[in-house]
Order: sequence, then C-alpha cells, then structure tokens
Amino acid sequence: MDRREEVLAIILSALESLNLELPEAERVKVGPTTPLFGPDATLDSLSLVSVIVDVETALTMRWDAPISLTDDRAMSREISPFDTVGTLTDYVLELLQEIAPA
Amino acid sequence: MDLYSGKTALVTGATRGVGRIIAEHFLSEGASVIGFARGEPSLTAAAYHHVQVDLADPMAIQKAFLGLHKQITRLDIVVNNAAVLTSQYAMIMPPAAAQAMVNVNLLAPFIVSREAAKFMRKSKWGRIINIGSMAVSLEPIGDSVYAATKAGLSTLANVMAKEFGPMNVTCNTLGITAIESDMLSQLPRDKIDAIIAGLPVPRFATAADILNVVDFFAAEASSYVTAQTVFLGGVN
Ligand SMILES: NC(=O)c1ccc[n+]([C@@H]2O[C@H](COP(=O)([O-])OP(=O)(O)OC[C@H]3O[C@@H](n4cnc5c(N)ncnc54)[C@H](OP(=O)(O)O)[C@@H]3O)[C@@H](O)[C@H]2O)c1
Repeated sequence: MDRREEVLAIILSALESLNLELPEAERVKVGPTTPLFGPDATLDSLSLVSVIVDVETALTMRWDAPISLTDDRAMSREISPFDTVGTLTDYVLELLQEIAPA
Repeated sequence: MDLYSGKTALVTGATRGVGRIIAEHFLSEGASVIGFARGEPSLTAAAYHHVQVDLADPMAIQKAFLGLHKQITRLDIVVNNAAVLTSQYAMIMPPAAAQAMVNVNLLAPFIVSREAAKFMRKSKWGRIINIGSMAVSLEPIGDSVYAATKAGLSTLANVMAKEFGPMNVTCNTLGITAIESDMLSQLPRDKIDAIIAGLPVPRFATAADILNVVDFFAAEASSYVTAQTVFLGGVN
C-alpha cells in the first residue's frame, strides 16, 4: 500500500468508527469525496472533532511522532484541509513529508 | 471487591505529598496507576508505572501520552495534582516563576485532560479530578498567579465537563486546604496557621479528607456530578 492509500484508509476508518456511534439517519458517506467541513458537510462539530482525534491518534501511532492536524497552519489556509476527505489526505501527506520524507 | 479494581488511573505529581497519597490509595484499592513527575518514582508497587516527564513542557506531555498509547488501551481516572507554588509580592515575582505556575498548574492539566479524554471517549467512561486550592477563595497576598491558576483549573474543568459530558466523562475540582507537604513547607508557618485558624473547620486537611472527595468524584454513582468544585474545611 503506498502512503496515499495508507493515509486515506486511516481517514476512512475514522469515518467508519464515527458511523458506528451515529444513529442510522445521521451516518456519513465514507469515501474520498466526502465533505467534512463547510456547507456540504453533514458532520456536526463534535463528530468532526472525533474524526480529527481518531486520525491524529492513528497517524501518531503509525509514524511514532505527535501529529497535530489543527495547528495554526491548518487553520490559516485559504482552502481548509478539512473540506473533504481528499483535501485532508493531501494535507496529511504534506505533514508527513516533513517528519518522514517518502 | 476493591473500589478501583480493573481501573487505570493517572496521577500527576505522584512522587510526593498529596499525589503520592492519592496514588497509594488507588493502588491499595486495586487500580493500575500511572504516575507523572520529573523525579524518580517513590512507589514500587507492581501495578505502578512511572513516567518521568516535565509537565511544564506541553510537547513532553504529548510524547508521554504517545508512550502510553503503546502500553495501555484504557484510562479511566485522571487526577491533575502536580503544581508548583512561588508565593511572592507581585511587584517582585520573577516572571519565570509566574510562567512555571501557569505551565504546570494550568496548561499541563489542560493537555493531560485532553489527551486522557481521547482514551475515555473510546470506553465512554472517565473521571477527571483536578486538585485545586483554598487560595482561590482566600486570595492570600503573594498568591496572585498561583490562585489565578487554581481558579482557572475550575473553569477548565467546567468547560471540559460540557465537551466531555456526552462521552460520560465527568470533570470536577477538589479545593484542598493545608496539608503537610514539601509545597506547604515553603510557606511561613505562622501565616498558614493564621489562615487555618480562620476556617469554619479550623484544622489542617488529612489524607482521609482528601480521599473521601476523590472517591466521591470517581465513583460510578457520581456520573451525574460534574463541573463542580468542592472545597474542604468550609472554604467557599
Ligand atoms: N500542601 C498543601 O497544603 C496544599 C494546599 C492547597 C492546595 N494544594 C495543591 O495540592 C496539590 C499537591 O500539592 P503538594 O503539597 O502535594 O505538592 P508537593 O509536595 O510540592 O508535590 C508536587 C508534586 O508535583 C510534581 N511536580 C512538580 N512540578 C512538576 C513538573 N514540572 N513536572 C512534573 N511533575 C511536577 C512533583 O514531582 P517532581 O518534583 O519529581 O517533578 C511532586 O510529585 C497541588 O495541586 C497543590 O497546589 C496543596
């Protein structure tokens, strides 16, 4: 599995975990184009926090270094890394490139 | 059955004073205990795991939790106990001492609580207990920053109580009075005696006084008790 696939799998697994906690009517679609934040997103803020925490924890364990997805850099971007699963994947790959160049 | 069998508790500042009393109590009641402090462990029980970490350094705390994620799968109880105290007139308080109090007494409990909550949200159960101080209410001269950090600790718990409530995690604060410890011995005894003499219950706190409220906050039956600060000795 290449790094992009691995990161995508981590994010999708976080969404799957979230769905286990949500009532059926509120479950989110699990895929690379799923909106996470913004007008098209169906996640409420607490659900998004859950996903971020799960992704951060999984990345931190996998790459053995504390990884924060919500530092000032992420928050100040014109295009939010949290727009969709795809933009989050790109952002994580960028962070990983700094701590563990592929 | 022991009160805490099957539970894992983290106590900051477990090497001395109040933190050690609480850690020993949890151990004697069947819990596995993780202790955070800068120094060497002073407890040797098999169920005790010591992590040397400087709580003044947020990054070091995150690293300590990274280590914990590899060793444990659940964390049930957190006691934010470690603190530092420099009692000094504001105009001559060294800024570094003030900064250390903010870091250890307020920022560290924030980081520890949020990292612990990441465990607790998985098990949908948790108890976060902060050790506050009578200084919040009595506002003694010299304790401007110390008392402010301890007041902030209650506010921290109250906001976190809202955020973590849906995960069945409670957050409460126990404001203790004077008890013999290294921290207390830094202060002039006549000043402490005068403060204690003015309390509704004019005596020092005992280990039993503290453990009584810790057990109450940690109890299964206290799931509806959150965002509360309980002061000992009649302080309010
Ligand atoms: N004793 C009292 O009369 C009294 C009154 C009111 C409130 N309190 C509160 O009760 C709590 C316990 O106080 P205490 O009297 O037991 O204090 P203490 O005897 O001074 O013990 C403090 C503990 O915190 C640890 N600690 C301090 N700075 C640390 C750091 N930077 N990183 C990691 N660990 C650190 C110490 O271990 P290391 O030095 O090894 O790091 C030690 O285990 C505190 O929250 C205090 O504010 C105490």
